[in-house]
Amino acid sequence: MTTTLNPKEEATAPKFDPRAAKLVSDWAHTAKLLCCRVDPTGKYVVAGAIDYTIQRWEIATGAKTALVGHDNWVRTLGFSPDGSMLFSGAYDGRLISWEIAAEMPQPKQIIQAHQGWLRGLAVSQDGQRVVTCGNDKLVKVWSAVDGQLIREMSGHPKLPYCVQFVPGTYDVVSGDVVGKIYHWKADDSGLLRNFDASEMFSNIGDIAPFGGVINLTFSPDSKRLTATGLHKCSNAPAGNRRAVALSFDWATAEKLPKQECIQKELDATMWRAVYHPSGTMIGIVEKEIGFWNPGTEDVFHLAATPSDIFDCDLHPNQLNLYTAHFDGHLRSMRLSPS
Amino acid sequence: MSLAAPSVTVFRVFEKNPMNKKQYKPCGTIDHGIGRRQFMGEFLTGMGAIAGTSLFSHPLGATEIAKHGKSVVVVYLKGGVSQFESWDPKTDLETGGPFKSIPTSVPGIHVSELLPHTAGQMHHMALIRSISTDLDDHGLANNIVRSGRTTRSATEYPELGAVVAKGLERADFPLPGHIATMVGGAGRRGRNAAYLGPRYSSVSVGAEKGGIVNTQLPDGMSVSVDSRRHDWRRFVNSRHRSKIQSAEMDAYTQCYEQALRLMEKRELFDISHEAESVQEAYGKSEFGKQMLLARRLVEQEVPFIEIQHDGWDFHHNNFEFHLHYVADFDRPFAHFLSDLNQRGLLERTLVIVMTEFGRTPKINAGYGRDHYPNAWSIALAGCGIQHGAVIGSTDAKGVEVTDRKVDHRHLFHTYLRAVGIDSSGEFDVAGRKFPIADPAYGPIKELLA
Repeated sequence: MTTTLNPKEEATAPKFDPRAAKLVSDWAHTAKLLCCRVDPTGKYVVAGAIDYTIQRWEIATGAKTALVGHDNWVRTLGFSPDGSMLFSGAYDGRLISWEIAAEMPQPKQIIQAHQGWLRGLAVSQDGQRVVTCGNDKLVKVWSAVDGQLIREMSGHPKLPYCVQFVPGTYDVVSGDVVGKIYHWKADDSGLLRNFDASEMFSNIGDIAPFGGVINLTFSPDSKRLTATGLHKCSNAPAGNRRAVALSFDWATAEKLPKQECIQKELDATMWRAVYHPSGTMIGIVEKEIGFWNPGTEDVFHLAATPSDIFDCDLHPNQLNLYTAHFDGHLRSMRLSPS
Repeated sequence: MSLAAPSVTVFRVFEKNPMNKKQYKPCGTIDHGIGRRQFMGEFLTGMGAIAGTSLFSHPLGATEIAKHGKSVVVVYLKGGVSQFESWDPKTDLETGGPFKSIPTSVPGIHVSELLPHTAGQMHHMALIRSISTDLDDHGLANNIVRSGRTTRSATEYPELGAVVAKGLERADFPLPGHIATMVGGAGRRGRNAAYLGPRYSSVSVGAEKGGIVNTQLPDGMSVSVDSRRHDWRRFVNSRHRSKIQSAEMDAYTQCYEQALRLMEKRELFDISHEAESVQEAYGKSEFGKQMLLARRLVEQEVPFIEIQHDGWDFHHNNFEFHLHYVADFDRPFAHFLSDLNQRGLLERTLVIVMTEFGRTPKINAGYGRDHYPNAWSIALAGCGIQHGAVIGSTDAKGVEVTDRKVDHRHLFHTYLRAVGIDSSGEFDVAGRKFPIADPAYGPIKELLA
């Protein structure tokens, strides 16, 4: 959602300035949070928890409502563009749709989407389709309207972790644990091309793959595809690794310089990065929020929070970043001077 | 630690299971077992030439043991497998993790959903869910679970493998009694027999197509030339020994002879001799190959076989790692039990799924679990135990043992008793008495068949 300001309003409107970032809200839940999204109208923020619930906070009041319907950790969330529908995916393999504005939202449609965990979902720009991926190594496209399965793509050799629609299309990109990113055509012609992010995969033996493409996001102009995750893993079971974002030129699939948090030694995975409309990239790195500019290797600012962050989302005002934390709190950071 | 009032939950196995007739013969109880004198006699047979011990021999003991032909197979999940993601799943939302529990072939017993194949073999198994030990350091914990002792002195105690190798030894047995398998690795000898001597230390055997690695004669060397070399070595050794004797020299000589016997038996270690369908059933993973090799060694009545499955120390990303690691363990292990049973070997084989401690109920900020010796679990299968038994329990969050607390000392006694070794006996090494297991403790009697 964008708003056009007249020159007077423009002069007084708050400016995006990450260096001025500060926590402005802190809402507590009783269970660890794994994911969060802000609805595109800016009325609600929702978070998925390990107590199988989705928690909805009304941003204006902080009023909290539980959405109950999953039977395992709620791992991934996505809104329809008009903000009316919420889609959730969990380790129970279910994709559930919810009418988010209801007083006590109930599952509208429950789909057993995957065998094993459902790990990633995304909603198309027109709100007509939802794409998911899961432990059955499949990528599936669903009708957001009636829940019918439209397409099923197989080909990931190992677990796919994340999916996105290519902006403005029904094409899909999916990233997996061994660093493969596949671009699937919207029709049934299958795999169109792939991107090599294997440097985000740590080969620690034959039993368990480690690392990979945890999240995918497009730049605001759709010219860059950015994968986030980890690299430089020295001891996987101990968690010694560095967070990283690896971007590709979308047109050529050429790799761009990696971005990592160099100035501070952090064992971290970058669970998600989002692009600010200004082009600045915002990535969550352990308990901190890092800010990068395109083409630079290191953060220009780090903003601290009290607990490890596992997901983040920008408010449509583009000045508030919501973060889902290990301590069960959902926090909001204002990215401009007061 | 004192024993709590014995209590055991024995779940009835499927009455209609057609295999049951064969599976539940008790074996390895103390009544069928090896008495102390027999054990000591057998010990002497093997050890008389080593370390100048004053042990006496007892040939009847050897005969009795040979008749039994039992084996112990330890599958060691090194690093500390999570009890939550294996044998003691919890539904608590804070500590339980994302994996559900599933029913097993024994009504009433549930295990983690990560173990679907093993769940189908539960009627051959027993679980101990109430282990509480003191140590959360890998090395120290590894030592106590293997030796059944909490060492607070300079005394080193032999590990389970050495004690079993000694206790189940047969005089004419052509293979080492204590074998640690490694697919594709080179051989080496462990230092885990303490005062029992190197004869009972583990021999690590790497196998590949064609048998044990590095056991072929060099190109250009004929069998007759090799034989003459060994004749010459024996002659020189014998002449030297007539003048000077030492335990080290004897151990050295034994190693040579054992290596020669291994070379003769090298084909045993070549799993490619197995039908492709059998190899497929075990799986082509390294662990699957080792389990198949273990079965071949059980067929040969090797007393003690250890397979290591390494890397379970998941302080970070515990659930992702267990998803893969338990799956890697599950199918080969379950097929191993099934295969042993179908071949009639399970009734003379004790299988122990061992680890050094459990993992914390608390999930850390890296979604890992840390070391937790306070309340953890192991699984057993095969001979000498009550199938379908669950010993002890933990509370709803898996934090504390709530019933029948046991530790590594009880377990050590139990393992030995299950294969008929009197764990209350003593080793007599050069006149010094060493209890076989910690004399202040005893077996988990209600678990024994």
